[in-house]
Amino acid sequence: MHSLSTRTLMHSGSAVETRRWGELKRGGKHALPVIIGLVPLALVLGAQASQKGMSIAEVSLMTALNYAGGSEFAAVELWSSSPDIALIVAMTFLINSRHIVMGATLAPLLKHLPYRKTVPALFFMCDESWAMGLTDARSSSRPLSFSFHYYLGVALLLWFNWVAFTSVGALIGPALTDIRAWGFDMVFPAVFLVLMRGMWRGRSSALPWVTSLLVALGAWLWLPQGWYVPAGATGGLLVAYLSGGER
Amino acid sequence: MVSVDAALTVALMGLATYSTRLIGFLAVSRLVLNARATRVMEVAPGCVLITVIAPRFVTGDMGELLALAITVLAAVRFSLLSTVMISVISTGLLRHLLG
Repeated sequence: MHSLSTRTLMHSGSAVETRRWGELKRGGKHALPVIIGLVPLALVLGAQASQKGMSIAEVSLMTALNYAGGSEFAAVELWSSSPDIALIVAMTFLINSRHIVMGATLAPLLKHLPYRKTVPALFFMCDESWAMGLTDARSSSRPLSFSFHYYLGVALLLWFNWVAFTSVGALIGPALTDIRAWGFDMVFPAVFLVLMRGMWRGRSSALPWVTSLLVALGAWLWLPQGWYVPAGATGGLLVAYLSGGER
Repeated sequence: MVSVDAALTVALMGLATYSTRLIGFLAVSRLVLNARATRVMEVAPGCVLITVIAPRFVTGDMGELLALAITVLAAVRFSLLSTVMISVISTGLLRHLLG
């Protein structure tokens, strides 16, 4: 009796391990199309950073610690031998302010997990890993079934890939020709639009999304650099909140 | 290899970015959302994604707009990998032909 229950316990323990490993691998596999777009972008960022005088180690350190591409392109743009630290950090916060909304949308799905797991995992949250984790949870038949290990599989592979290829970009910088000419920069609109299709909730999504698009366009054209991100996101959310009473 | 200024800048960038990743999560994880807030959370992801790509739509270049239109149409119909391939190939071709 005793030995039987012990064996059952051990068996279910290894079954959990196998399932987690399977989810990690599934996430990694789903991340591959995203990597097609990330590699050229990472190479370009590394090359631009080295042209601005950043060393390879500095590029690796920035992309590993900050790990948010948009803000890193802005930082490289503003970089000099004695960088304006306050300006770069403020710009970084502004461009990444969208993470505040993103983290909030994950919170209800991660409620069953302890902070010691979720807080480190959120370090690796980027647009793609967040959206893919959400899409996976919403396409599942069970409600609130966020697969933590699927998310980790996507997130860790994308992080490693980003740090590795920005560093390679810094190393081979001058040898790179204009990658943009090959069309790889269109991967991100493509990925984001496919993910949005999965998030479509009928007409109730349309008004907030169009609002976000229009406000972001206006802010991009007429406000200082970086402001279009918080402006577009909050514009859409405000409309969603105000129209939320209907239905 | 890493200057003091650079180390300080990237460390503070990292701190700023990690704080954005945690603030919203920690705030909402202590709340029970009402129906209205839940509906806002449902459309929020799309608002963020469309905002990030919005600057792509600001161009007077016909080839660029055509490539974008092809990408939108592909995204409505095809899987992630097919959409990515259609988008990259048509964008590259249009830039070579019209650029």
